[in-house]
Amino acid sequence: MTSFTPYTYFLCPCTDTSTSTRNLGDSPSAESEENSDDERTFDPRAARSNYSLYPLEHLLYCEDCHQIRCPRCVLDEIVTWYCPNCLFEVPSSTVKSEGNRCTRSCFQCPICVAPLSVSSLEAPPEGLGAELASGQNGPFVLNCAYCMWSSKEIEIQFDKPNGIFAQLAKIKNGGEPIITAKDRRKDREERGKRHFSGSSAAEEYQESEAPITLDPNERLDPESQFSNLKAFYQTQMAESSPVSALGFTGDYGYGSPGALSRIMGLYTGGSFADKKSKSKSGTMREARDALEGLQIDPLSSSEAITKLSTEGWESTASCAQRHEQTTHTPFISDLRPIAYLLRTKRSKRCKTCRHILSKPESKVQTTRFRIRLVALNYIPSIIIKPLQPTLLTASTLLTPLKPVQFLLTFKNPLFDAVKVTLATPAKTPGRFPTKVTVLCPQFEVGANTDVWDEALRDNNTKSSLSGEKRRTKAEASEGQHQAEAGKVWERGRNWVSVVVEVVPPSLRIDGSEWLKSEEMKRDGEEVRDGEDVVEIPVFVRVEWEGEAGGEESGLGGGGKDKEVREKRELAYWCVLGLGKVALD
Amino acid sequence: MSKKPVKGEYIETDTGNKVSRRSQIIGTTNIILGGKTVIQAEVIIRGDLLRTYPASNPSDKQGNTVAVAIGRYCFFSRGCELRPPGKLYKGQFSHYPLKIADHVFVGPSSIIEAALIGSHVNIGANVVVGKFAIIKDYVRILDGSVVPPNMVIPSFSVVAGRPARVVGEIAEGELDGMDLREVYRGVGNA
Repeated sequence: MTSFTPYTYFLCPCTDTSTSTRNLGDSPSAESEENSDDERTFDPRAARSNYSLYPLEHLLYCEDCHQIRCPRCVLDEIVTWYCPNCLFEVPSSTVKSEGNRCTRSCFQCPICVAPLSVSSLEAPPEGLGAELASGQNGPFVLNCAYCMWSSKEIEIQFDKPNGIFAQLAKIKNGGEPIITAKDRRKDREERGKRHFSGSSAAEEYQESEAPITLDPNERLDPESQFSNLKAFYQTQMAESSPVSALGFTGDYGYGSPGALSRIMGLYTGGSFADKKSKSKSGTMREARDALEGLQIDPLSSSEAITKLSTEGWESTASCAQRHEQTTHTPFISDLRPIAYLLRTKRSKRCKTCRHILSKPESKVQTTRFRIRLVALNYIPSIIIKPLQPTLLTASTLLTPLKPVQFLLTFKNPLFDAVKVTLATPAKTPGRFPTKVTVLCPQFEVGANTDVWDEALRDNNTKSSLSGEKRRTKAEASEGQHQAEAGKVWERGRNWVSVVVEVVPPSLRIDGSEWLKSEEMKRDGEEVRDGEDVVEIPVFVRVEWEGEAGGEESGLGGGGKDKEVREKRELAYWCVLGLGKVALD
Repeated sequence: MSKKPVKGEYIETDTGNKVSRRSQIIGTTNIILGGKTVIQAEVIIRGDLLRTYPASNPSDKQGNTVAVAIGRYCFFSRGCELRPPGKLYKGQFSHYPLKIADHVFVGPSSIIEAALIGSHVNIGANVVVGKFAIIKDYVRILDGSVVPPNMVIPSFSVVAGRPARVVGEIAEGELDGMDLREVYRGVGNA
C-alpha cells in the first residue's frame, strides 16, 4: 500500500471530451480556463476518465487515420479458436456445432478451477518387471493436484484415459449412466408408433431387441429435460399445423402456427387466416410427464432441505463454484468437472477506417504477428523520475505544500525529430488542487536513428554530421545542474528530459475556505479513495515532418503523401501519476 | 574467472553469465546456462535432482545428464529456487528436467518446479509454480500467485491468484518491454 510507482496514462481520443465529464456541482476554476482557452481541461478523476485512460503499451496506432486507437475503438476478429490447456486448434465449424468448450480431456476442478489430470485407480505394478508392465489400466478418475479433489467424490469413473469429455457426457454424478439423446429419440419414435398404430405387444418385441423403457416420473438432468421439452413442443407444433396447408413440414419456420397464419394471410383474406389460426391453436397441449420434459420441483426442494439439515453449510457450493457450472448446482455433490473454455487469437481493426492494426499468426503455437501497429512505435513515451534521488529512499510520500521537482523523459520512437509542446492546468482539477509548473513546455526531441544506423552511416559518409551535432549538444547541456525555466534538463540521441515542479495539496479539510464550499458539505469530511494521489493532466502536442525517406531524394510523383515530406500533428491528453501525498 | 582481482558480488563467466557468490547452485555439471543470465544472491538451483527413470529411447542418453537448462538473458532474483519436478511413474519416482527458454524473469522468493518455461516470461515475487507446469511464451505471472501442478498457461496470458487462473491478456505493445537485455546490462559488480 505504501509503495507507489509513478505511471503515465494516455487518453484515447475516441472518448468524446466535449461532453461534460464533471460532477454536476463542479465549477471549473478560473485558472484552468485561462490555461486552455478553447479546450476544457481534462479531469483525470472524473467518473468516466477511468474508462478511457490506458498505459501506452495497451494502445494501438492507426497509420491511415493517424490516430491512437484504444481497446474500445478497435474491432476484434477471431483468427483461431484453441483450447488453453491442450493447445489444440478447434475449427470454427466445430465451435458452432460442439460449443465453446474443449471436447478432448481438458477439465478444471469444480472446487478450485485448477486443471484436472487423469490418473488410474489401480495401484501401480510393483516388484520385478514393474517397469515392463505396459501402460496403466482403468478405472480412471480425474484428479486435482491443487485441492486433491477427485471425481471419485461424485462417483464418476472412466474406462479409458482419453476422450473424457465424451465419457463424462454419459455419466451422471453418482455413476448412473445418462440416457443419451439418441436413445431418447428412439424411445420417442417408438412411443409415437405405438400411439399411431395401436400395435400389439407381440409386434413390439419383434421390432426392437432391447427396448429401453423410460420412466415417466424420472428425474431428468437439465440437458435431457431441455431436449425432451424441445422434442415435445416440436411435435405439438407440427400436429397443430397440419402438413396439408401449404405442403411444408419443417420443424422451424413454416411449422409454427404463427408463421403459417401469416403466409395464409398472404393468399387469402385476413379474416379467414385469423379464424383458422384460432381454431388450430386450441389443439396445443402442455407437457405432462418426464418423457415430455415436465419436472415437478417441490419434490427436489424438499430433498434439498433434508440434505441441508443433515450435511449443513459445508455441502453447499460457493457462488464462485456455481458460477462456473452451466446448470443449477446448489450442492458440492452436484458439481461436475468444468470443460476448459476455448480461447481465441484475435486480430484488431480500426473502427473508423477498417484497416487492420494487429494480426497474429493463425497457428496456436507461434507468437509472431503479421501486423502489429502499436502506439509505442509512434508516440513519445514519458518516464517520470523524481529529480532529487534522495526522495526515493527517504519516503515515497510527498510532503504537502512543499514543492517537488520531477523529471519527465520523453523518448521519441519515430525516425524523424519531433517538436513537443506541453500544457498543464496551473492547478489540477478536483477538491485538492495541485499546483503544476512545467519549466520547459516546448522542446524538440531528436530522431530515433539506431545506434547501428549511425555507425553504418558514418561508414558510408552520408550524413554523420547531424548525429554528431546532437551528441555534442547533449554533452553541453548535461553540464548544467540547476533546473532553469525554459531550458531542457538533459538531452540524448532521441530523448529529452524536462523538469516539472509540483506543489502537492494539503489533504486537510478543515480549512476555512473549504467549509464554505457547497461541494464539501455534500461530499463529507473524508478523503476519498485515490484522492491522495497527485495526478496531473498534461496536454501533449507532437509535431513532426513525417514519412518521407530522409536519405533518398523524394522524386516519385505517384505516391505523393509517401514521398513528399508532410507536416504531421498529434495531440492528446496524458495523466501523470506522480506520487501520494502524506496525510498531515 | 572474475575480471577484477577484488571479489565482487558476481562471478562473470565466459558466456557472460553473472552468478552471485552467495547463490547456492548444486549439481553444477547438470545445469546448462545459455549465457548472459543473472543469478542473484541466495538463489538455489537444484541441479542434483537428476532424472533417474531410464529414457524411453536409448539414443537420448545426453538428455539424461541435464537437470536444469536455462536459455539466454534470464534473470533470477534474490532467494528464488529452481528445482526440477519429480513424480511417481510406473512405480518409480524420478525427477524430470526443468527447461527455461530466453528472457525469463523470476522474482524474489519464488519457487519454480515447472517442466517448461517459454521465452519472455515474467514471474513475480513470491510465486509458486507447481510441478510440471508448462508456461508458454509471453506470459506474466503476478506476485503471490500459486500456479497449480500440471497447469498449461498459453501465450499472452496474465495469470494471478491461488490457484492461478488467467486473468488477462498481454497487450501487443507490452511485448517489447519483456525483453531482458537492458536488465542484464544494468547488473554488475559495481
